[in-house]
Amino acid sequence: MEQSGYNTDSASLDAVFSALADPTRRAILLRLSDGEASVNEIAEPFEISQPAVSRHLKVLERAGLIERGIDEQRRPARLKAEPMSAAVDWLNEFSEFWETSFEQLDGLLTQLKQSELKDTDNG
Amino acid sequence: MADLPEYVIDRVFDAPLPLVWRAWTDPELLSRWYGPGVETIIHEYDLRPGGVWRNEMKWGENSDLSKMAFVEVVPEKKIVWHHSSTDKDWNIATNPMMPDWPKVLLTVVTFEEQAGKTRVRLTQTPMDASDAEIACFANMMAGMDKGWGSGFAIIEEILGELQA
Repeated sequence: MEQSGYNTDSASLDAVFSALADPTRRAILLRLSDGEASVNEIAEPFEISQPAVSRHLKVLERAGLIERGIDEQRRPARLKAEPMSAAVDWLNEFSEFWETSFEQLDGLLTQLKQSELKDTDNG
Repeated sequence: MADLPEYVIDRVFDAPLPLVWRAWTDPELLSRWYGPGVETIIHEYDLRPGGVWRNEMKWGENSDLSKMAFVEVVPEKKIVWHHSSTDKDWNIATNPMMPDWPKVLLTVVTFEEQAGKTRVRLTQTPMDASDAEIACFANMMAGMDKGWGSGFAIIEEILGELQA
């Protein structure tokens, strides 16, 4: 409704995390960061069949992480980085929330200890 | 239920337990460290079971509201609360960035004295969560801990190469 503008993006953010959770799919993405490639070319270095690669590519495509060329024969896969950097940003935001807050708490405790010491000295 | 994904952060602070407890439970001190690099405004802080902590974080033009409902308070030992994002009227709300993010996180903070220092352990687990919410949180945790192995490094490498 009022947030409908977000929904396509954010629904895919969940799909992005699922897609990235698999080591083969991450390796495929790494391969594609060198440039577009066909299923054959992608399957070559892996010990898995072309149909298996095709299945992984479908998952990546659904998550918006790659797009496939229209060329019926080759259908080269191409990396799309935006959803991945959105996922990484989100992940960093959550993990850094407490990490950074705890660092700030550490700094505050040091300040508080120093001011308590001063109070004791003066008193 | 035993398999719910869990976020854990465990730290030892070089300060005596009463001081650390004060930094967590005095809203004036709490607002000085809670929230990374943001201005934190504590609108209400009623530390007792059934009491509520209403928190606002501001950065630039943005404002992020959350509500923590305390369920257990053991002085200098433990605080338990239900942690939720809220809309501007403090009603529990879905995160617009991540609709499957758990609406309520059970948050447990424990404090333990260790030779003049203080160990603080905080855990968060999804509460009354749907399967989708649990899966979403589990994916996040898998990304954060070492379970992903070099996964995260690979993603950063990919993004780095693309930016180069």
